[in-house]
Amino acid sequence: MIEFRGVNKWFGALNVLKDITLSVEPGEVVVVCGPSGSGKSTLIRCINGLETIRDGDLVVDGRRLGDPATNMTLLRAEIGFVFQSFNLYPHKTALENVTLAPIHVRKIQRAEAEKAGRELLAKVGLADKVNAYPAQLSGGQQQRVAIARCLGMRPKIMLFDEPTSALDPEMISEVLDVMVAVAEEGMTMMVVTHEMGFARKVAQRVVFMDAGAIVESGTPEEFFSDPKTDRSRAFLSKILRH
Amino acid sequence: MLENFSFRTIVEYLPLFGQGLITTVWLSALSFVGALAVGIVLSAMHLQRGWLFRVPAKAYIDAVRATPLLAQLYFLYFGLPRLGFILPELVVGILALSLNSGAYVAEIIRAGILSIPRGHAEAGVASGMTYVQRMRLVILPQAFKVTIPPLLGQAIVLVKDSALLSLISVAELTRAGQLLASDRFMPAEGFITIAAFYLMLYYCLKGLAALSGRWLGLAGART
Repeated sequence: MIEFRGVNKWFGALNVLKDITLSVEPGEVVVVCGPSGSGKSTLIRCINGLETIRDGDLVVDGRRLGDPATNMTLLRAEIGFVFQSFNLYPHKTALENVTLAPIHVRKIQRAEAEKAGRELLAKVGLADKVNAYPAQLSGGQQQRVAIARCLGMRPKIMLFDEPTSALDPEMISEVLDVMVAVAEEGMTMMVVTHEMGFARKVAQRVVFMDAGAIVESGTPEEFFSDPKTDRSRAFLSKILRH
Repeated sequence: MLENFSFRTIVEYLPLFGQGLITTVWLSALSFVGALAVGIVLSAMHLQRGWLFRVPAKAYIDAVRATPLLAQLYFLYFGLPRLGFILPELVVGILALSLNSGAYVAEIIRAGILSIPRGHAEAGVASGMTYVQRMRLVILPQAFKVTIPPLLGQAIVLVKDSALLSLISVAELTRAGQLLASDRFMPAEGFITIAAFYLMLYYCLKGLAALSGRWLGLAGART
């Protein structure tokens, strides 16, 4: 579904992605973790072309990025992206946020899109917030709308860029519950997060990155109980101490 | 001192002031529409990443902002006929105000668009929207709200700038004051009256700005 082969990326002189090789199968849930600045966000932002790669191959849903034959707009419609800062459209209600892209990108009839949108908002537990504007919602609620907004496009892949990092602790679980439900439906997911409970529960694989490179990759069980490298041991001891 | 102040003459000249006021209002309105058109095109050019459109737009905006409106007006009024374009004063006046104000409007619109967080555009990109869709559905509706108050401020400036058209004998409000001053040698009466009319226009536009601000505050939810 997603395949990185020898991918490199630079920001100026900084090698932010170093020779990344990684393959994600359909239906697989991969958690990406690592210290700040290790390139996790950049890694998943490359998948839908929010960042471009300098060399190597990146094939998503059978289409090679950077290939002139690949229509990025069409590809992006198949990939949901959940941002750390939600990025809801503040001038649109929750329902309008969910239906905007289906109506204009997928060309679905408004009535049909609204029906699907209401169902999705109900699914993320916000049936009563259909007509609320983002500013009237809590962070956790906004992030759930953002997830519903992605699901409205019926994506093949969902990418999450630290979806709970901007939330108050008490709102984290409501968002994670929704993500677990999405994962259990068989969605292919890549999730940048430090929520190790989430990783244990639904991830098939944990990828640990440091300084732009994948340092370690394994099942959550292996990774948490028996980290192979000093770097990952040091990282885990820091985030699991509290 | 004040016994010399002739209210009667002001009343006598009221029809003239009225006509001047009406001319000022409609030519300002027309110029503002022109300025919006110029501003939209210029800001769109200025926001392009490639230099082909961006550099000429920036050069134009700088040139307009760096030179006096009066010089621009004289260039169009005296200069263009020498180059073979002979236009009526009113057209020259409206053209000058539109082209001048358009540069400022362009910067207001550009600032409005740039004030929208990058994340909103990225969310649009990520959901497969094209550039035009992002602009139309996500960026411009939000930018529109933030630009209304400064645009009305620019409209107020434009109304005052329109006084310069009296110098190319357009019969607007300031021209009416000049006529009273020269016909009867009553500059105090003439110019205090037009000042009152300009003040009135100012309050009208300011009221509109306040109204639109309140309307936008109610209609739009901010982050």
